[in-house]
Amino acid sequence: MLDCDQYLLPQSLDEAFDLIATHGSASQLVAGATDLLPWAREGRAGDVHIPVLIDITRIPDLNGVSKEGNRIRLGAATVFQKFLKDPILREHAPVMPHVAVWFADDQLRQSATIGGNLVNASPAADGTPGLMALDAELVLFSRADGERRVSVTEFPTGPSKSVLRDGELIIAVEFDSASGYGASFEKVGHRRSLVISTVCAATALKLDASGEKFEDVRIALAGVGPVPVRLSECEDALRGKPVTAAVIEAAANLPLDRVQSRTRQDYRREVVVNFVRRGIVDALASVGCDIEPSETRELETANG
Amino acid sequence: MADLNISMTVNGRSVEKTTAANSRLLDFIRNDLNLTGSKEGCGAGECGSCSVFVDGVLVKSCMVPVAKVDGAEIETVEGLAPRRQMTPVQRAFHKTGASQCGYCIPGMVMAATSILRENPQADLQEIKQGLGGNICRCTGYQKIFEAVELARDVINGKVPETALDEDEVGDSFVGANVRRLDAPSKVTGALRYAGDMVVPDMLHMQVLRSPHPHALIKSIDTADAEAIAGVEAVVTAADISGDGEFGVFVHDQPTLAAGKVRYVGEAIAAVAAESEVIAREAVKAIKIEFEELPAVFDPKIAMAEGGPVLHDYAQDNVTYHVPIRKGDTEKGFAEADVIVEQDYDTQPIEHAYLEPEAGLAYEEADGTITVHSPSQNITHHRHALSRILGMPINKVRMIMSPVGGGFGGKEDMHYQGFLALAALKACRPVRYVFTREESIIASAKRHGFKVRYRMGLKNDGRITATEMHMVSDGGAYGCSTEGVMRKSAILAAGPYNIPNVKIDAIGVYTNNTPAGAMRAFGALQSQFTTESHLDICAEKLGLDPFEIRRINMMQNGAITHTKQKLGAVSIGQVLEEAGKVSGWEAGAPIVRGPTRSDLGRDGNREPCTLVPRYTSPETPEEEVA
Repeated sequence: MLDCDQYLLPQSLDEAFDLIATHGSASQLVAGATDLLPWAREGRAGDVHIPVLIDITRIPDLNGVSKEGNRIRLGAATVFQKFLKDPILREHAPVMPHVAVWFADDQLRQSATIGGNLVNASPAADGTPGLMALDAELVLFSRADGERRVSVTEFPTGPSKSVLRDGELIIAVEFDSASGYGASFEKVGHRRSLVISTVCAATALKLDASGEKFEDVRIALAGVGPVPVRLSECEDALRGKPVTAAVIEAAANLPLDRVQSRTRQDYRREVVVNFVRRGIVDALASVGCDIEPSETRELETANG
Repeated sequence: MADLNISMTVNGRSVEKTTAANSRLLDFIRNDLNLTGSKEGCGAGECGSCSVFVDGVLVKSCMVPVAKVDGAEIETVEGLAPRRQMTPVQRAFHKTGASQCGYCIPGMVMAATSILRENPQADLQEIKQGLGGNICRCTGYQKIFEAVELARDVINGKVPETALDEDEVGDSFVGANVRRLDAPSKVTGALRYAGDMVVPDMLHMQVLRSPHPHALIKSIDTADAEAIAGVEAVVTAADISGDGEFGVFVHDQPTLAAGKVRYVGEAIAAVAAESEVIAREAVKAIKIEFEELPAVFDPKIAMAEGGPVLHDYAQDNVTYHVPIRKGDTEKGFAEADVIVEQDYDTQPIEHAYLEPEAGLAYEEADGTITVHSPSQNITHHRHALSRILGMPINKVRMIMSPVGGGFGGKEDMHYQGFLALAALKACRPVRYVFTREESIIASAKRHGFKVRYRMGLKNDGRITATEMHMVSDGGAYGCSTEGVMRKSAILAAGPYNIPNVKIDAIGVYTNNTPAGAMRAFGALQSQFTTESHLDICAEKLGLDPFEIRRINMMQNGAITHTKQKLGAVSIGQVLEEAGKVSGWEAGAPIVRGPTRSDLGRDGNREPCTLVPRYTSPETPEEEVA
């Protein structure tokens, strides 16, 4: 059971930093609360008493989606369901709706925030590889250091660890529009829905003007090691190459060993090869380019 | 703890209340507003029994701190149907039989409402996705899908509103679509389960459970717990004046652990206090000294000599042994052309009913103790309570509260004894509601079986002998094990004429969670092995799996292996129908696969399912302007 003496909802960044300064280590920040509440239960943290909970979801700077030129900015308190509903995000962050349908369920997606998902720094976070495939940048802010920016790929440093400093918040996520990119998200866990990923893979790709060659490919994996990773070797093997089953197969089977998880390494290795292949095929299909993969062995898809 | 001032609109009415700072929206609407239609099934955002609308958006209220939604507009299941005027969604759930135990149904109704509000034309795929956050354990979802499709078609005028009315019953109720009498109370959230019940002056209970699988209790010190303000009673085995040990068959289970614990999660002490938070604090203040004992978790090891012994009366750890002997199996095996041997393991299973165990106990003015709980065996529980409390049976009243899913799991008694004890000791009503985690660690599971199977057959498929040695994990206490062993043994060899049968069903004590009743009561495990074994035998003999069953099946008037004369035997018809609806292509298992002519034609076959109560029409029956 989660217990607290005060549950505070600052209405501005200034107010939030005042509260953080006042309560210090007696306080904890809350966003969607969908990780915090199940964590404070028997079998995990048990009964937890946090004197002051500071809920940052009402701060205007952490909310809203905007587009300036080619740059998209969304507040860190944006909930996952927005990736499915918001027209700007649907257009310019094409990988995120694929992430969102796999993320919990419609109802939890109304509470869970992208910032919370990032800060938790789970090795199996679903949102992080999606943002990595968008080459996203995180806007961090603290009273002491002001604003700084960090690539989403650099943000997590280990399980539950990140470059976030004491007294620092993720304010927003920014990325260049990926409008027109094909995208996909592959995920496998212990069951079909409402599940933490064992492995997940986000893919965003763009074809050249002829529609026959890969112009840009970005693939990110989570669940394979302490932090989510970009598969730059696969991306390099595809960029500029013709869109054929053989090229995809070669990229999927690159002798990479990105699997550094503590458990089920052989299983994850097999999944990674299949996910890279299927991720590319599905992303191509999302922009109307149908390729029959040369390897027919497929894991069951859930959301088709 | 500082309190919060909350003002919001709930079901169209303004609400202003002060509540605890850590309240979740679910706590607020259930406890502060007494709107108990929203249920707590898991408390972890998994099950959806608590789904409500916040500013028109469906959320899981167990995952929402109430402070977050201060000022919002909340709509609960009670708000859908003011003055009991059910919405088309609710009426459709009533019509199609979509509510069984009903515990998940308020959440399901809310999710269905959300889907159709968002897209009144939602197709089946969208409906399934929209219900993805809501779990039901009774219906298998089919009736719920039918309900949402029916509601959609009524809302869109595709079918007339009269489609929601009850079907007319002709000459016979058999085969007729009859609505459940209690469904309206379930689809509107009006029905109160034990955990929803509130009486004046009621205390809340929390329980101290064993962290060890096997240990002696050297001492229990409750003084600090009792000193906490708001704690009204702490009960331990020392408070039991009657016969504290109970059970369905053998009385081996203490009401609260006495001198020894035998599984992780066993109840040792219970606290009744003014609030759940105080009761939890008091549980932590109880001091217990344990002396850990070696524990055993495998029933076969438990049966071996020299290992840990759980109960003094059963030095071999055997709870109950059912032997069945018919004919001479050695002779039968000698006559066989082939002997097929195989080991089978089945796992323990959690029932996972959506309603965690709960109960409310209070003393009446005349000294009668009344206990409400979702008990699936109230007469047995009443007799057990009478013994535990040392009270005459006419002073013990058991009221069966609505069972939010049981599947046998609420048949074995676990907590009603100490709940009643606490109410008597505190002289106040006491309510106890399990968390999902407690429900999983503390109450009885399905028995896991280890089966050694030996079957002799002639080359033509006739069975000459069957030998089954079944060892099952009964966990720490007897519970329903004896009955489960009997049923598993009686039905083990299946509905087949076998001249020589030797069956042993042995229930064994281990330091695992007790095993008890669960759907089919042991028959599932033994039938699983027999039917699996017949498939293996069919493969070895090159026979069609249906054929090997037809060759051996009992006929009208057969005598079972336990000498029961049967009247009509329907296995022949069952096999015929199963072959038909499954699109079975005759042949031995070894020739299945690519040669099957029915595959590759028109894609996949429709899965076999019961005839739906509602199928959406292809075209509108009448055009609606």
